[in-house]
Amino acid sequence: MASVKLTNVEKVYDNKVVAVHDFNLDIKDKEFIVFVGPSGCGKSTTLRMIAGLEEISSGTVEIDGEVVNDLQPKDRDIAMVFQNYALYPHMTVYDNIAFSLRLKKVPEDQIYEKVTWAAEILGITDYLLRKPRALSGGQRQRVAIGRAMVRNSKVFLMDEPLSNLDAKLRNQMRAEIILLRQRLDTTFIYVTHDQTEAMTLGDRIVIMKDGYIMQVGSPTEVFERPANLFVAEFIGAPKMNTFKAELVKEGAGYFVKAFGAKLPVNGPNGELLAKNGVGSREVTLGARPEHIVLADAKAENTIETKLIVSEMMGSEVHLHVRTTDGTDLIVRVPTIQLSPAQRANLQSGATLYITFEDKVMYFFDPESQENLLFH
Amino acid sequence: MKKYSDLEFLRLSKWQKFCYKIAAFFCSIPHAVGNLFKKIGLFFKNVFVSIGKELADVVTAFTKGDWKTKVSYVIMGFGNIARGQVLRGLMFLLFEAVFIFYMITTGSGWISMLPSLGKQGPQEIYDPILDTYHTEYGDNSFKILLYGVLTIFFIIAFIYTWRANIRQNQVAEKILRSGKKLKSGKQDLHSLVDDNFHKTLLALPLTGIVVFTVLPIFFMILVAFTNYNGAHNNGYTNALFNWVGLENFRTLFSWNVGGVNYAATFGEILTWTLLWAFLATFTNYFLGIFVAMMINKKGIRLKKVWRTILVLTIAIPQFISLLYVSRMFDKNGIVNGALMSLGLISEAIDFWGTAKLARIMVVVINIWIGIPYLMLIATGILMNIPADLYESAKIDGASGWKQFSKITLPYMLFITGPYLLTSFTGNMNNFNVIYLLTGGAPTNTAASGAAGSVGYTDLLITWLFKITTGSEAQYYLASVVGIMIFVVVALISLVVYNMLPSIKNEEDFQ
Amino acid sequence: MSTNNTSMKKHMGLKASTRLSNTAIYIILVIISVIWLIPFVCIVLQSFRVESTWKVGYVIPQQWGLDNYVKLFQTNFPRWYANTFIIALVVAAVQTVIVLCMSYTLSRFRFKLRKPLMQFMLVLGMFPGILGMIILYRVLADLNLVGANSLPGLILVYVASSGMGYYVSKGFFDTLPKSLDEAARVDGATRAQVLTKIILPLSKPIVIYTILTGFMGPWGDFVFARYVSQLKPLGMNAAVGLQSWLATDTMTHDYYTMFCAGGVVVALPVALLFMCLQRYYVEGVTGGAVKG
Repeated sequence: MASVKLTNVEKVYDNKVVAVHDFNLDIKDKEFIVFVGPSGCGKSTTLRMIAGLEEISSGTVEIDGEVVNDLQPKDRDIAMVFQNYALYPHMTVYDNIAFSLRLKKVPEDQIYEKVTWAAEILGITDYLLRKPRALSGGQRQRVAIGRAMVRNSKVFLMDEPLSNLDAKLRNQMRAEIILLRQRLDTTFIYVTHDQTEAMTLGDRIVIMKDGYIMQVGSPTEVFERPANLFVAEFIGAPKMNTFKAELVKEGAGYFVKAFGAKLPVNGPNGELLAKNGVGSREVTLGARPEHIVLADAKAENTIETKLIVSEMMGSEVHLHVRTTDGTDLIVRVPTIQLSPAQRANLQSGATLYITFEDKVMYFFDPESQENLLFH
Repeated sequence: MKKYSDLEFLRLSKWQKFCYKIAAFFCSIPHAVGNLFKKIGLFFKNVFVSIGKELADVVTAFTKGDWKTKVSYVIMGFGNIARGQVLRGLMFLLFEAVFIFYMITTGSGWISMLPSLGKQGPQEIYDPILDTYHTEYGDNSFKILLYGVLTIFFIIAFIYTWRANIRQNQVAEKILRSGKKLKSGKQDLHSLVDDNFHKTLLALPLTGIVVFTVLPIFFMILVAFTNYNGAHNNGYTNALFNWVGLENFRTLFSWNVGGVNYAATFGEILTWTLLWAFLATFTNYFLGIFVAMMINKKGIRLKKVWRTILVLTIAIPQFISLLYVSRMFDKNGIVNGALMSLGLISEAIDFWGTAKLARIMVVVINIWIGIPYLMLIATGILMNIPADLYESAKIDGASGWKQFSKITLPYMLFITGPYLLTSFTGNMNNFNVIYLLTGGAPTNTAASGAAGSVGYTDLLITWLFKITTGSEAQYYLASVVGIMIFVVVALISLVVYNMLPSIKNEEDFQ
Repeated sequence: MSTNNTSMKKHMGLKASTRLSNTAIYIILVIISVIWLIPFVCIVLQSFRVESTWKVGYVIPQQWGLDNYVKLFQTNFPRWYANTFIIALVVAAVQTVIVLCMSYTLSRFRFKLRKPLMQFMLVLGMFPGILGMIILYRVLADLNLVGANSLPGLILVYVASSGMGYYVSKGFFDTLPKSLDEAARVDGATRAQVLTKIILPLSKPIVIYTILTGFMGPWGDFVFARYVSQLKPLGMNAAVGLQSWLATDTMTHDYYTMFCAGGVVVALPVALLFMCLQRYYVEGVTGGAVKG
């Protein structure tokens, strides 16, 4: 129930390694923010600086308008869920959840109320007298969340809480976190390396790389309007295809030359390029696998490729194809759209003609890697 | 030495590879030693650079600081008190007061006598009125040296505190300028159980270490440059000793000082010390692993019983087992008795009589003492070796011996590398085993002389002990020997430590 | 011939060859056990010997009796025993506190002087400990804490530098996940509360190990006790006292079997204690060696 504001926050370790550069972010009250990025990008470090577990080298962190740089974690009124749960092995589930309340000298009656309330919500009432080692991974995760829940704290921090769970459990817990959020109605800061989690959970996503913020935006924004090549490649699975291409301005319109094909750029993308005053130039072209379509026959706007591997995923097929100049691309086709003849043709070595949907092509500056559409 | 590329190395024959590795090892020693000196040099450079920085900082803090800060240069803690941090300020002030009082009353006296270690010893003074002699206690070099060292430590502590006092002013000014509040005395006290809890925890242990280890060692290093011996302990007649510079080191490395060949004695003891440490460490190590593997082999029963029997040697105080075992091997001990009654020998063997036999005996008995430790350690590590390593080796067709030499041993050596090093240096200083078994005997008449009685099984450490006991004690020589032990141990440790695989490639077996 | 041999081996089957090697191992283990037990059996047997107090070439007494044990109480032995017991008890308690403080701090806190401090203690440990005894003895002598009055002096000497022996327990603390501390601090615990409420309850093995080694160290120590007591009968501990009985041949002549009896009395409690707590000792020793 508080806003969090980070201003020019930096983290420099003793060995002069800079983990976080000039981090600026305004987190609104009751917002669910996700920090996402590959390992070593500084997302956990940032979270730990907010928690007070890591010293802030420079800049300020404010919680609810108060600068908390010099406060101990216990004085910041935060709750945190750790990646490995960090349950106290020598205490029962009940004592684990009650620990923070006992430190605050809350009367035992109230502690009982609170702990059973949290246990009820999380469905762990039957395990209250067990020790953590007698619990399964999912149950431990719930206890860890319960421990954070009872604190009524201003900010709820979660550091990769699901990464130690198996795939099925992870999906389930993800849904439960969404429910939990509705129930607790407080500010959440959530760290993960998994873009799916980020997309499904976050109101806003902060994508980080090497200690820098790459983009901050809602899931739709970062998916549809990635600020740069890194964000474009990081969000979405399978990964976006990117390759060198030539953008040519012809009169008022544009087209792209790639792999010997000529692909027109019409619609909103062409307008945006014109608006940004982009001329003919080299670009890094991006196309999501689901935005590549199979063509029936060779044409001016098709690219000739050889099929390397076809992966049948059930509802869709992932085709790994190689162009004539040796670039590998991934194409994602819904199974339902494939005719029996096309399906029969999906053998290794088969020749496929592909083309891009012009509405959803991305153009990046090869040097700065910025998105040319939204620059 | 020619360096092979990886691919060239792969083409060498087994023997060539072996020789190459040996050669590479020895070639790396000078490099390691060089690195060591470079590091030492760097260390001193860093020390001087940081002292320089501190000095510069102290000056700028004075010129830029406000008047409260400036006053604090003379009256410690003034800034703290003036800015409301009374508790801290009073602590500083109290420390300064105690220091000044001490320096004026006694400290300066000790320091001033340090260069001469005292001029006038005790003497009998004739009293013409009473017609008797009475003793006038003069200076006492031991006390001068001791309190001199203490005073030096005190001065260093004062300088450090004074610097801390100035830094506090700097920090306080900065905090106040940025509009924040300073910590109150109550908060200061509270922080001692929270963010400054480490200071609370370390206070007691570090005080103990400084007073009972650092101070004595510093003192003893100084003694190496004096002629302090047992006779000087008698404060009634002879309490003065002098600085002699490097004289004692020269003695230790001389062929002939008053008919004693110190260099040969030292060389002989050092050689045996190193040989002993090597033998003691590696016999225990390999036999310990061997025993552990036997006990832990699948299908062997009564594992607990075997282990407990061995562990008994750890449970029973060493002085009992060692003293008893040494008597067992006496000329008229049980072993000789048993051998004679069995008719294996006709005359008692004097196990402790000759140098060679006595040395073999201490190594063998040390195996008896040491195997249980190694058995425990090896058991722990053996259990940690992933079973799939052995399974895949078996499928690859490795025999039992190959599994041992290609998996168990490398794994063991990797994990226990640092342990081997510490156990080697520990054995160099293994006082108990030698002193309680043989007391250094048999006497090495050639080496004995002014340097106490020296035996063939004496280690540097037992020799040191011998020359520090009794009124014949030669403390100065003991200090020199102690310093030499330190030098040897430090050199071995640093060189080996930097070459250990577990330090170099930490991840190999993880 | 050789092919014949290998095929023989193959056909002998796993079972038979395992049985063969296991038998060999059993034989070796029995021999080892005998060698390891002989001295202890002998010392017990000789402590019951009545007919002569001198070393003899046989083990089994011709005349059994408790004479040696009874005679122990007519010497200074009870005093030595009490000295040893008091020293070991106090040292075990204080040393445990010091070692735990030191190792917990070095494991959990990251302060500026941490690395230099550890390096400094490493270097300090390379000096032989006996060296410092020379001056400590003189200082203790000035305070009249040596000779017959050596008890407090010895305790001081044992306890004082125990902070240097932090390696094993630091290794243990390092294995406890740091996120436990962090979780507790977020939950509102001060650093001190983290130690008392989270870490200590989880550290039972290492606490017991530290107490055990802290007790056994002074119980069997010889060098420092010898130095500080200066062979004054009332100030000696059991180790120095019993050693003094074997110091010369004439002494040995009268006291040999009493030494055996004394040895048994000294060894018995600590050996029992050790055997009960063996599990923790093994954990500590193996953990320490693996961490280096």
